[in-house]
Amino acid sequence: MPQALLARGLCRRYSWSGGHQDALRGVDLEVPTGTVLGLIGRNGAGKTTFLRIASTSLLPTAGSMQVLGHDVVTDAVNVRERIAVIPQESRPFYWMNPRELVYYYLTMRGETHRVAREKAAEALAELGLTRWENTVVSRLSGGLRRRAMVAMVMASDAELLFLDEPTTGLDPIARRSVWEAIRKAAKANRTIFLTTHYLDEADALSDRLALLESGKLLASGTRDDLAALARRPYRVEVSDGFPEEELRSYGDLSRVGERWMLFTGEKEARELSRRALEKGIRLSLGPVSLEDIFLQMVGQDISVEGEE
Amino acid sequence: MREHKLRSIAAIISMNAFLPMRRQPLFLINTLASPFSFLFFLAVVGRPGALIYGVAGGLVLTVLSVGSSLQSDLTHYKADLKYQEMAVASPVKASTYVTGMALSEFVFAIPGMAVFAVLSVIYGHYIFLGGLVIFATLILLWVFASALGFTLATYLADVRETFMISPLISIFLSVVPPVYYPLESLARISPYLVWLAYAAPTTWAAQLVQGALGIIPLSLFQGLEDAGVLLAAAAILFFIAATKAKWRET
Repeated sequence: MPQALLARGLCRRYSWSGGHQDALRGVDLEVPTGTVLGLIGRNGAGKTTFLRIASTSLLPTAGSMQVLGHDVVTDAVNVRERIAVIPQESRPFYWMNPRELVYYYLTMRGETHRVAREKAAEALAELGLTRWENTVVSRLSGGLRRRAMVAMVMASDAELLFLDEPTTGLDPIARRSVWEAIRKAAKANRTIFLTTHYLDEADALSDRLALLESGKLLASGTRDDLAALARRPYRVEVSDGFPEEELRSYGDLSRVGERWMLFTGEKEARELSRRALEKGIRLSLGPVSLEDIFLQMVGQDISVEGEE
Repeated sequence: MREHKLRSIAAIISMNAFLPMRRQPLFLINTLASPFSFLFFLAVVGRPGALIYGVAGGLVLTVLSVGSSLQSDLTHYKADLKYQEMAVASPVKASTYVTGMALSEFVFAIPGMAVFAVLSVIYGHYIFLGGLVIFATLILLWVFASALGFTLATYLADVRETFMISPLISIFLSVVPPVYYPLESLARISPYLVWLAYAAPTTWAAQLVQGALGIIPLSLFQGLEDAGVLLAAAAILFFIAATKAKWRET
């Protein structure tokens, strides 16, 4: 499968008088055409820096990146004709309504007026914004504004869409409508590059995942590939009944409210289930979630801020 | 999708000028505020004949304000709305984006220029081809102001920085230069101020406008010299904008 994005040894250093910060440290990553890639990591892990280099807003300090077969440094013009981006924390013009936002974004990109009108109506309907299409942005809620931004890039003819935290601040229902739009775009063989720190979102949408931490790529692949990399692929939750020392002997143990949570291997999980049956203790057992994998790889909660 | 320059420029003008003007007509008055304040002062406290200097200065200042508005808008769109990043990641080229933005700021200046143009007809004594001289001068000044605004905006990280820079530029380009008064008035204070004024392209623009309105004598040689300096300033700023301004962050 051809690669929509191919990064090799990508580095980015931010320098200022008296110091510097390496936001990316030799990242290698591939994104096959027509897939949804979810780039996950804590705040400050380097996700936005990576996305900004890929969307030609920022130059790398070392390494190379090709987007849709063109080098992002030397051949940015050809990249730009085929991509679209929603930057993190971007906001729409407050004096325009959603219909105008999408329409003028499309005509600015070069669409004819007729096509822009049609595509705007279609994208607004898809994101559940038809009811508000003539309401100026200043009267819309934060969630509706964010959806209008998503509608802008979804309506474009870009083959590769970069979405930087597209659902931040949205309620669960609005998030689902954005997810549906992303899924529909993916079905139309568009490539989606999504950064998010909502792991459920990355899990629900992505064909492939990449985990970035402190500017380094810790892992990339399908959900199963990442699960296989987890040191302890099973998660056990159990109430009191087992001595703490015994539970600790099965794997990584932590206390979550009134329950014990344990990451463990397959053999240990079987043994623990057998012991629970013998003792008549109830436990829940299942494969690790994406969040569990993240915790095991990074060693901290995703909500803990990384160094910026 | 390949770039369609004219379509893109028209879209940017609509987004940045016509729509906000339609939704918030106070924007129209905003561009008139500063030039009319100076005109008002000159009318109230100035010597007889000072009013026409206010009209000439109003034409210059209205076009010059395009530069500071452009600087503020570009910085706002880049730092706050992140719209520039969306434009970068699209077929739109930097030159198209800035042309659209500069033209949209020019659209904002049109009502002010129209008012001052009418006043110039009432109070001025146009020389032969004076209208053409003023038109060409204001176009060159618009190119200069737009290139300056674009270049500065690419280096500013926050819109608040424009609040700091704009007044300083305003002093250098519209207060010290003899935009609202004759050059001789400046010479009476200090000859050094005259040299400082000559460093500002607006001095040469103001002399052309004042000459075209019959306020000061304007020989063919003087007119060509003024136009040459203004053209050079606009070309240099345009070159700086094209080569040094940052469309993509380094």
